[in-house]
Amino acid sequence: MPSNEVLEEVVRTENIDIDAALDPAEPDGVFRDSRECAALALQSGGTNLLLSPPTPRPKKG
Amino acid sequence: MEQSSTSALLQGTVLDLASDVVSALRSGDHVRAGSTLTAGGAGEGVARAAVRVLGADALLPSVLLRVSPAPGQLAVFKDAVAAHPPRADAAPAVVWSHWAMARTLRRLEHPLTGPDAAEPAAEPGADWLDAAGWQTLTHQLAVLAPLALPGEECAVTRAARRRPVDVARGFVRAVRRRDWQQAAGAGRWLTLLDGVPDTLGLEAGLDFVRLMGGSDPRVVLQLEAARLMPAAVLL
Repeated sequence: MPSNEVLEEVVRTENIDIDAALDPAEPDGVFRDSRECAALALQSGGTNLLLSPPTPRPKKG
Repeated sequence: MEQSSTSALLQGTVLDLASDVVSALRSGDHVRAGSTLTAGGAGEGVARAAVRVLGADALLPSVLLRVSPAPGQLAVFKDAVAAHPPRADAAPAVVWSHWAMARTLRRLEHPLTGPDAAEPAAEPGADWLDAAGWQTLTHQLAVLAPLALPGEECAVTRAARRRPVDVARGFVRAVRRRDWQQAAGAGRWLTLLDGVPDTLGLEAGLDFVRLMGGSDPRVVLQLEAARLMPAAVLL
């Protein structure tokens, strides 16, 4: 390997933050509404994982 | 700027490597798993770091399909283990992923020569998993999915075995958050655990994860591992 490539390689390797890649924080999630999930599950052709009823919500009044 | 371009390079190499592993798992051809890894090339350090990031799964085809890794592949894997040991203050997941790589090396270099041959020197503790809520447990197990192997016996697998329902809840949560990588990793664990509720619909769930997250080779790698898991016998 030519010396400038070696130098570039060393710089690159030293800059790599391995730990961040090995223990990533949980990404922000986007929760889907149950009905939306049901629609997606139906689109997927017969899977039924997410076909749960909507989460009960408190009644007003 | 250097940092971000390097991170992007590393991320791309990890994806390439994961694609190679997926090809090898599907075809049984270990050579394809090493096509991203080039010994002595200009990207050697990045490739080595990518192997460290992918962890023990970089040699998953050899472990699950019981085929010997190509010599060049094994050499880069060994280099990655040696070049990136965990720091003294490293997070448990970092320590465990390094332990898993060392364990894989021992397995491949001393296959079936006795129970002690596969034991790395010191097993890290897994107390942090026992103390974790089900959300954190699932996230950490997904990060440590390379340890989800048939017949694997270590503190992390024991912690997972004690909490199948929590991992199942975490799987559903990951799906609903559209965190396909976490869902696939948790799903891989669930294929190995006893006591997973039938109502989870794991098989259909994994199909759904493939449908939604199948463009990411790291997701597909976990799904392929989960597919092969029931039939696999640990090397």
